[in-house]
Amino acid sequence: MVEQLIDTDKLKKIAEEVISREDVRLLIGYRKGTFGFRMRPAFVEEVSEVGELEFTPACVNNLATYLTNYERPPLPRGTTNDTRKVAVMVKGCDSRALLQQMVELAYKRDDVIILGIPCNGVIDPAKVDKRFPEAKGPGDVKREGDNFTFSADGKTETVPAAEVIADKCTRCRYPTPLVYDELLAPEVERFADDTYEDIAGLEKRGSDEKWAYWEEKFSRCVRCYGCRNVCPMCYCDECVLDRLSPQWMRRSVDISENTAYHISRAYHLAGRCIQCGECQRVCPMDIPIMEMNRKFYKDVAEFYEYEPGTDAEEKPLLSIFSVDDKEDFIL
Amino acid sequence: MAEKILIKERLGDALGELSKFRLLAPTKSDEVVLFKQIDDPAEAYLDYLNSTVPPKRVVFPQTETLFKFRAGEPDLEEKDPSEGETVIWGLRPCDARAMAIVEKLFNWDYEDPYYLKRREETTLVGLACSSIPSVNCFCTSVGGHPFGTEGLDVLLTDLGDKYLVEVVSDKGAKVAEALSGLLADAAGADKEAAAKLSTEAEKGISRTIGTEGLQEKLLNLWENPLWKKVSAACLGCGVCTYLCPTCHCFDIQDEVEEDEGRRARMWDSCMFCEYTLHGSGHNPRPTRRERTRNRINHKYSYFPSKFGDIACVGCARCINLCPVNIDILDILQQVVEA
Amino acid sequence: MMKNPYIPYRVNIIDTWFETPGDRCIKTFKVTFADEKVWETWSHRPGQCAMVGMPGVGESMFCISSSPTEKEYLRFSIMRVGKVTQAMHTLEQGESFYIRGPYGNAFPVDDWKGKDIVTVGGGIGQAPLRPVIQYIRDNRGDFGDLKLIYGARTSADHCFKDEFAEINQKGDCACHLSVDVEEEDWPHYVGFVPALLMDVAPSPDNTIAVTCGPPVMIGFVLKNLMELGFAPTQIYTTLENRMKCAIGKCGRCNVGNLYVCKDGPVFRYDQIKDVAESTA
Repeated sequence: MVEQLIDTDKLKKIAEEVISREDVRLLIGYRKGTFGFRMRPAFVEEVSEVGELEFTPACVNNLATYLTNYERPPLPRGTTNDTRKVAVMVKGCDSRALLQQMVELAYKRDDVIILGIPCNGVIDPAKVDKRFPEAKGPGDVKREGDNFTFSADGKTETVPAAEVIADKCTRCRYPTPLVYDELLAPEVERFADDTYEDIAGLEKRGSDEKWAYWEEKFSRCVRCYGCRNVCPMCYCDECVLDRLSPQWMRRSVDISENTAYHISRAYHLAGRCIQCGECQRVCPMDIPIMEMNRKFYKDVAEFYEYEPGTDAEEKPLLSIFSVDDKEDFIL
Repeated sequence: MAEKILIKERLGDALGELSKFRLLAPTKSDEVVLFKQIDDPAEAYLDYLNSTVPPKRVVFPQTETLFKFRAGEPDLEEKDPSEGETVIWGLRPCDARAMAIVEKLFNWDYEDPYYLKRREETTLVGLACSSIPSVNCFCTSVGGHPFGTEGLDVLLTDLGDKYLVEVVSDKGAKVAEALSGLLADAAGADKEAAAKLSTEAEKGISRTIGTEGLQEKLLNLWENPLWKKVSAACLGCGVCTYLCPTCHCFDIQDEVEEDEGRRARMWDSCMFCEYTLHGSGHNPRPTRRERTRNRINHKYSYFPSKFGDIACVGCARCINLCPVNIDILDILQQVVEA
Repeated sequence: MMKNPYIPYRVNIIDTWFETPGDRCIKTFKVTFADEKVWETWSHRPGQCAMVGMPGVGESMFCISSSPTEKEYLRFSIMRVGKVTQAMHTLEQGESFYIRGPYGNAFPVDDWKGKDIVTVGGGIGQAPLRPVIQYIRDNRGDFGDLKLIYGARTSADHCFKDEFAEINQKGDCACHLSVDVEEEDWPHYVGFVPALLMDVAPSPDNTIAVTCGPPVMIGFVLKNLMELGFAPTQIYTTLENRMKCAIGKCGRCNVGNLYVCKDGPVFRYDQIKDVAESTA
């Protein structure tokens, strides 16, 4: 029987200890959202803020992104950056982003305190919103066996997990964080495997069919850059998209630039994407971004036996070379 | 003009009649609802909540050409912004109201020929929100109403097997004229039914915010710690602004292809770092804290101080679609309480 | 409907020269409209701006650095910093570029008649002050005493050097010049502009002060003017921000609820003193 894993009191106690430390400036966790069954990121700087922390199966955000997606404006004269540690709560999938960021030397292991959350699956907010369009909330979500129970506005309803669980969780191979300082609950054993069934259709399509398929999806893109900004691996100092001089990609929104955008991004993530699926979750235009990322992921795994974000000692895929590397696709 | 009735069975015929105009209606692809030009009435998806992208895009396209030029030719070729007589069928009252609000800016002193031309040639046929599209809708707090007609030319009310058709402008009368063969006079009971739906719809709105005094109060909260708190999770993407029916900021860029090119404008977002970045490298809004503050202040203080209206119609898209649940009502509540 | 405000006029370069050397050199362009008829409708006031650009490259906002009293041409002095200005710097006499405008408000020079005027400029910040000075010199009898206070990093970095010499010779305006760092054969003041201002110490009586320059300099100049007894209503300055449309539509140039492109660029200090977002 799979149950709610995280004891909130224990979480708060640990968080209090961590944020009380002299060498810690910030703890990034989750707190209740503002409506429906939303949970949202919490930025705790004081012990007094610890009370709002919580972990439920509605905690979908990959908080690892906040370790790289922050701004570095020039500092006022005479001040220096606060270089104390940041503590972050991560699920199994999210922990892989931390590993990959560290493999890429985005920061050092010592710079972060990792509070690991063994996880047996989170909900898909889109599916939940559809199921409970009238839930004002903010409500609660709990895991009870093979169900999720949703309580809001004085009502409670139980829904089979399979109906509202995030797709990525149905093929999760790393339910327990791969890197952590403290684990907030006992390890969860692997309960699923990834057979790439979801992209089998994509792989079978011919070029024309693929083009027609993606043309329809990309034509919807409004280039809000939600996918890029939420991505824990998109953290270049200056993104190729934003550069105005020289301008590599036009700001015009049309099928040609949109396609260039999505293909560039997919390529830049090849061998780096850790499959958290945040890009697709946040896309307001329902573009199946992860289909591209998953195809690259599968190819990288098959061609090079490489899985990003699984080994702290590994080097980035594109910086290693073996004479045995597959190359028959090179023209 | 007296209220009319359009029987739903004749909706297809009505949309067919309107095909002499450039006709746009909500359409669905995957989970996304967008206003698109329809050739076949069956493409119209009117059983919808609200569109993902507001129909502002029809009068204010995400990318449009201002003029074209050619190497070696000194004369610039001005782009005719006209798209022909257009009818948007079935948009929500909040999105129509947004156009009426934004139009004030595009008319401010310098007339923007591109926006105004399309606004002028577009007729808005609204579909009243008999049931409230989202738990986060708050139009009544910012001067709108689920059955509001500001900005609209015609308002439709879904009465089950028929629509009550209310013409509210001369442009609307033209559309009603085109449909005259399909419309019958409304009975008193139809009008009563619509009035009842309107009252109930208003009650169906669960979220509210008191906006009185916000315009001045916001200016006095410049350095308040709330801005850091509410923007801490912001990712700096453009979801809230691009999908906002009143956001109207744009960039202008030149694009060259071999020896010809165009000057084009495209939506921009105040949440992007480059938006205010000076050539010198200085940025007057260096972090998301300043950008979030500007977004809220612009909507609830600056715009009303210039044009009288709050530049927010309460459609709730920014709340529903924010990747990190930054909620404009939550922010405004903190402003009220600060 | 009025003319499409996004369509620029073509102008021909009748003369061009470098004001200063270096990476961020400043080049002045003297231009006239390719279509002479534009002159019939064109009228600008000192302090107003124009969008200047080249199709295929883009546009940027620059102040018109000539006074309306200088007929038959417009002047722009442009520092090479970004994409547009780099392209502009490649242009020579006989070539063309495009402008639209005039945009923004202006220095209310006609309200200043009968008063003493002091301008305080730094670096390229002299460009919007030049039309004010020129306007006063061309209507010399209408105004009282005119003092010009100006400095740059080195003497080579001084804009409008030749004009300062001409002004000094004619004697219709007192020029007080400075360089930030000591250099050989420099006969004038050494030090930053705000210090030079204190050295000149203009009286606030019946006087208007106008200042333009880098934000840091403006900050100190404003402080020092107040110290000299100037009221905020006697002080004018200009603000700048990134702009795209220049006509109050595109959204980005606001400082609080003021659009720099339309409500500015000229502000009386009391208008912006308490606007948190302004640099002044």
